Amino acid sequence: MSWYHLQGKCADTVISTRVRLARNIVGYPFVSKLDSAGAGEIIEKVGSTLEPSGFRKINFSDISPIMATSFVERHYVSPEFSLQESPHALLLQEQNGVAVMVCEEDHLRVQCILAGFAPEEAYQNASEIEKRLDEEFDFAYEEALGYLTQCPTNLGTGLRVSVMMFLPALSRAGSMNSLAAQLSKIGLAVRGLFGENSASAGCMYQISNQVTLGVSESETLCMMNEAISQISEKEKLARAAIVGEAQERLQDHILRSEGILRYALFLTSSELIRLLSDVRLGIALGYVKDISYEQLNTLLVEAMPATLTLSSESTPKTESARDKLRAVKVQSVLHPKG
Amino acid sequence: MLCEKCKKRTATVFYNENLNGKLRSFSLCGECAAKLQKRGDIQDITSMMDSFADPFSDLQEALFHGFFGIRAPKSQSAGKKCPACGTSYQEIAERARVGCPVCYKTFQDELSGLIQSVHGVGTHTGKIPSRHQAKQERKRLLQEKKKALVQAVDGENYERAAILRDEIRQLENEQEKEAN
Repeated sequence: MSWYHLQGKCADTVISTRVRLARNIVGYPFVSKLDSAGAGEIIEKVGSTLEPSGFRKINFSDISPIMATSFVERHYVSPEFSLQESPHALLLQEQNGVAVMVCEEDHLRVQCILAGFAPEEAYQNASEIEKRLDEEFDFAYEEALGYLTQCPTNLGTGLRVSVMMFLPALSRAGSMNSLAAQLSKIGLAVRGLFGENSASAGCMYQISNQVTLGVSESETLCMMNEAISQISEKEKLARAAIVGEAQERLQDHILRSEGILRYALFLTSSELIRLLSDVRLGIALGYVKDISYEQLNTLLVEAMPATLTLSSESTPKTESARDKLRAVKVQSVLHPKG
Repeated sequence: MLCEKCKKRTATVFYNENLNGKLRSFSLCGECAAKLQKRGDIQDITSMMDSFADPFSDLQEALFHGFFGIRAPKSQSAGKKCPACGTSYQEIAERARVGCPVCYKTFQDELSGLIQSVHGVGTHTGKIPSRHQAKQERKRLLQEKKKALVQAVDGENYERAAILRDEIRQLENEQEKEAN
């Protein structure tokens, strides 16, 4: 079972929580100065440390671009990682949501992604694997600067907690810019669906901590807990305001989206993201009854271009064929047979 | 440092020449160095130019200063390279990427502005890797015992001072052993 087959806590406002720890190994330069032989050695060593504990090693130089993109769609790797030319690999333990990117920006990016709001649990899972790696490797560390990372923005704990929030009402009220400004004052950043440099789609925003030096792991988790609860509260108030203003119109809009989602024969991925957002809001407001958050999360990943193509027996030749395949996928998830 | 020829632009080429035992050295801007080379007054400069040599160096300097608070490469850091990975400060400033763990020590002064602009003035308070835990604990103990030694001497408690002195010596020996 993968994270996107579950709903997790606070599914009305939070889609997923991702935690990552950046680590580098003493004796090797950072990735931008690392040669292929060094990268290969690190990949080999990390693989032999984690493979016995049920991790699957995926060498990105051995897989097709479409498979690499599918890992991005499943949020196990960054878009930059999937496009990298130098040797890089992923160690994946899907049932716990743990994905270790080897030789991305840092030698090791130990990540855990879980459905819903779960920063502590995600941190525990990532931390457990980091501990195993710490026994094996001498991590680059300095007393005052903490864990040494290729980019100075990750010094200290190397911990980044990113929470994917669903904020349609705040978005519609035009409050996202002022929210982003407020969050930046307390050291939090707002980004789009696929992290750095990505635009927000379907009212989904990634909120993450920026400061990693001078704050402990528990302080970061605590701050994220507080910030996310406050944003969730604001979103719920904004939803109540929209419902108060135009309940029937909103309900009409959502139910139309549900109709299209259920019965359309062709769906583009951007239309799908929009429909999934409408329906998610519909579930939260009690307008949509027979669709679950789990199903929406599943579609948010499995109906994306690369993952969808991989799941079909024959590769769709045209955009239109893929849109048709997408609609079939939606129906199979919403109306499972048997 | 200004170019010693035009005295206007920043010096980015540091030229040293040993001609039949006669030493000459110049600090020049890219433009003047190119002119001198053309006239044959100095040898080929391309091999001696450090990576900062650029006709837009003044502009770059201004940009680095503004960008993230990275301090502009001054003449003293201009030729500096990390002894471990060979990265120059120019490379770090351009890409906001550090070459290796040693770079943090090599370019400590230059990077402090960037680090503070992102994280503030705090120092690390989180998790410590297992290999460093003993080392950090020893360092803490050493500081504590040195303080206690001063107090013992002040209080004329020489017996305790002798014990503390031996303990400090042992901890320092361990420290030294590990450093080697």
